[in-house]
Amino acid sequence: MPGEFPMNDPQKIWQDQPTEAIKMSLEEIRRKAHRLQTKARLAALAWIVMGLAICVLFARSSAKAHAAVERIGWGMLSLWGLYGAYQAYKWIWTGTLAADATLSTSLDFYRRELERRHDYARHIWRRSGLTFCFGGLALVVLPALISVLGAPRLLVNAVPLFVLLAIWLAVFSPLRKRQQRRLQREIDELKMLETENRSL
Amino acid sequence: MVSQDELYREVADSYGSSLDRLARAYEADPEARRDLLQDIHLQLWRSFAHFDRRCSLRTWVYRVAHNVATGHVVRQRRIRKTLASIEEIESMPSNDQNELAAGQNKALERLSGLIQQLKPLDRQIIVSYLEGMDANSTAEITGLSPANVAMKVHRIKNVLTRWFHEGAPHAG
Repeated sequence: MPGEFPMNDPQKIWQDQPTEAIKMSLEEIRRKAHRLQTKARLAALAWIVMGLAICVLFARSSAKAHAAVERIGWGMLSLWGLYGAYQAYKWIWTGTLAADATLSTSLDFYRRELERRHDYARHIWRRSGLTFCFGGLALVVLPALISVLGAPRLLVNAVPLFVLLAIWLAVFSPLRKRQQRRLQREIDELKMLETENRSL
Repeated sequence: MVSQDELYREVADSYGSSLDRLARAYEADPEARRDLLQDIHLQLWRSFAHFDRRCSLRTWVYRVAHNVATGHVVRQRRIRKTLASIEEIESMPSNDQNELAAGQNKALERLSGLIQQLKPLDRQIIVSYLEGMDANSTAEITGLSPANVAMKVHRIKNVLTRWFHEGAPHAG
């Protein structure tokens, strides 16, 4: 019978529920915090190192190249590596949410973070420096291809590269569009929540 | 000057159980709940490095905890569709009364289930209400005005009364 329902005080039910004391020592907490910070920094550092390595490697190729076009091509690839390193560096210093932020502030923060990622995905060719990468690659590869046009057998050697490129392009584009759609959906959901909160 | 560690110890002693209950409001899965609770404790400890006493320790603790838990929900992509506002739940039809024949565990399970259906703001308010906080304290935590909190709490009370005396709400 509803009237006889024994637990008709939700506050009492809530407060009387059995709780489990957390077994985390201060030392453990400190270790975890340190591990988290190190992990994030190492990931960014790995990208920076990789970007710089690419930059140096291609810069060396550029210095060794004889033809001006090829030299520019390697130079562009080298700049792409440097740009990648800079992007990773920037990512390290992305703002963090104030620990005691209210809900509207934290929703705003999450939304801005999603918008940043959405914007990056939308302009990925520009933002990730892919234009530089492909431009440089074209300047390096095309002159070599043109020079062997008279010998179709040598052209066959370049087929795997173009096949890989075609596969990458075929996969990359739909994946990017899907990611954009997902991010947009999440942004819309957060916006809706923000609007609801603001209307109060 | 109280150190970060001392503040954390004080909070772990005074609010340990409340934080556990708060984690229950955001995560049904016990394993994930433990992780969430650990994360809340971790973020609390970190936050005390910046605690400037502009608000009370309790307000700070709940703000940080709700933030971490909301972040958990957002990251789990469980924001919309599955979540409802207290007004939406208020307008849902009731289940059969027979379903209420259950003990405290069942009631707690249902209560937790109800809270976990709510959108973040309503969840913050209902948890504060269930923890026995007044409108002013809740307003400080959520950033809403006390009048808005009072209105929400009134709705929450309606839902809970109906829910406990008539039957659990169900969608559709």
